[in-house]
Amino acid sequence: MKRDWGRTALRRVWADKVFALALLIAALLILGPLLGPSLWPLSPLDMDFGAPLAAPSLAHPMGTDSNGRDVFARFLTGARISLAVGAVVVLAGLIVGGTIGVVAGLGGRIADSILMRLIDALAAFPPLILAMAVTVALGVGLKTAAIGIALSSVPFFARLMRGDILRIKTLPFVEASVAMGAKRSRIVGRHLLPHTTPTMLVQCASVFGYAILTLAGLGFIGLGAQIPEPEWGAMITDGLQYALTGQWWLALFPGLGVLLAVVAANLLADRLEETLNPRSARNQVR
Amino acid sequence: MLRLISGRVATSLISLFGASLIAFVLLRLTPGDPARLFLGQFAGEDAVQALRAELGLDGSMFSQYLIYMQRFLSGDWGFSYSTGQSVAELLLARFPATVELGLFAFLFAFVAAVSCALISVYRRGPVSDGGARALSFFAQGVPPFWFGLMMLLVFFEGFGWLPGPEGRLGLRVIPPPTVTGLMTVDALLAGDWTAFKDAVRHLILPAVTLGLMPFGFLYRLLRANLEGVTREPFITVARGRGLTRWAAYVRHALPNAFLPTLTAAGLLFGQLLAGSVLVERVFVWPGAGALVTDGVLKQDFSVVQAFILLSAFLYVLTSLVVDILAALLDPRVAQSQGGGR
Repeated sequence: MKRDWGRTALRRVWADKVFALALLIAALLILGPLLGPSLWPLSPLDMDFGAPLAAPSLAHPMGTDSNGRDVFARFLTGARISLAVGAVVVLAGLIVGGTIGVVAGLGGRIADSILMRLIDALAAFPPLILAMAVTVALGVGLKTAAIGIALSSVPFFARLMRGDILRIKTLPFVEASVAMGAKRSRIVGRHLLPHTTPTMLVQCASVFGYAILTLAGLGFIGLGAQIPEPEWGAMITDGLQYALTGQWWLALFPGLGVLLAVVAANLLADRLEETLNPRSARNQVR
Repeated sequence: MLRLISGRVATSLISLFGASLIAFVLLRLTPGDPARLFLGQFAGEDAVQALRAELGLDGSMFSQYLIYMQRFLSGDWGFSYSTGQSVAELLLARFPATVELGLFAFLFAFVAAVSCALISVYRRGPVSDGGARALSFFAQGVPPFWFGLMMLLVFFEGFGWLPGPEGRLGLRVIPPPTVTGLMTVDALLAGDWTAFKDAVRHLILPAVTLGLMPFGFLYRLLRANLEGVTREPFITVARGRGLTRWAAYVRHALPNAFLPTLTAAGLLFGQLLAGSVLVERVFVWPGAGALVTDGVLKQDFSVVQAFILLSAFLYVLTSLVVDILAALLDPRVAQSQGGGR
């Protein structure tokens, strides 16, 4: 039975070329940074003053920057940073936002309205600007940027989770298990939470993309990682001044990295939504 | 209807109150003493104390919050540490440029989204629909500042068709007298055709860059709505009366597909506001967003903090206006909102 399931899944993925492509990009973006720095001999921080601003060549496939640092090595490490921040943001947002959503959905009117007003207050800022505010307050850096982005993703998770819990808790099978005298923790753990998986999975994929894009944005305006650190957004800023004088490779490659990672995450979210929530409003009209 | 509006106003006020609390807490978390920062490290201790008293920094947290809000609401947003100018003055002077850029970006996003959505749904072919969808994924995944830079590389460096990053007008063009602050409108009012053309040429790349993400968002929304509406019976009726499919779509389906997108206009506004911070710097556009990035670079955060709370106010206000408009225009929205909390 199990093998059949795997084969069907494979065949479906293969039949859907766009999905297969998104998975391929995702696999490359995960494997590349994991293995890359150990396979690629050059360090992202070592300077080679003999070859500053060298154009892409065999020795430096993405060229070098103004201090002679290898852009390809920096690109690989940058991918690592983006993936790590994306994963941390998704986990933190899911845990904090999800918990708020569950408590608001089950905790009665008072808890619900207090928590949801808190979420409304967070959502009163455009997400990027909330992340900016947190980074300014806690001090500029990669860690605070991650905290800011995670906080700005909390409303997304909390609202969805609350809506899902409110919907699922009225379904007959939940009522049946209440009637059978199941403990509350068991109902939440065995019946409610597992049924929120499809929505949450889709949301995780799309927040992952959001996190990478926002991290690059914060890095670009100077609120995230600082220059020697090989973060994609900061690398684009570094390339900004050289781009129009002919050294286009400094900004081009990190931007391509962000684009690929975010599009892959969004495609994944889109296809997951189509497959897992066939009855959702978004798919009704297709 | 009145109950609906007052309820909506009340929830907006509550979330604004919460947002101002968050902004205040974040402000207090910022390391460093604002009075010391403003006066510099050589000022005497008593001068710092006097300024602290004047700014209300020695009171309780509660009274500090009240003073903070009172100052914000009366338009006193503090001083920029680097230039000594008032933040309100700085921001107001920069606002027209941002508004003009935002308007043009919205225009681009709207026209592009409507045409792409119509083509997608009308032709349904893998090439046109797939192409438009791919474009929307690109638009929502590309970092806007990077896209702007690449556009500059192609159209300024490469072909030389469009002006480079030099702000709103070329160096040799005399700016028209300021009336509205919008360069294109001012040029038209002055009858200055060369300035108008130059202003538009300077607007194209920044506006497309800023409008790209809203375009992707609007397109996906419009396409889904349009798909649904084209299956409604009244489209069949319109076709039965002898209208071509195109005419039925454009005249009957499109206006109905707009209504649900109206409620998303608040989100769209937020995207434009946040995007201006990212995009303006690339094009050296003299707007409020560039002021914020300059503030970050110079570690002059008073401008940034004022902008943060201001953007929350504008964002909540837009969503409020848009929601009320949607309820007035569409009884179905009023019904569903009245039924909710």
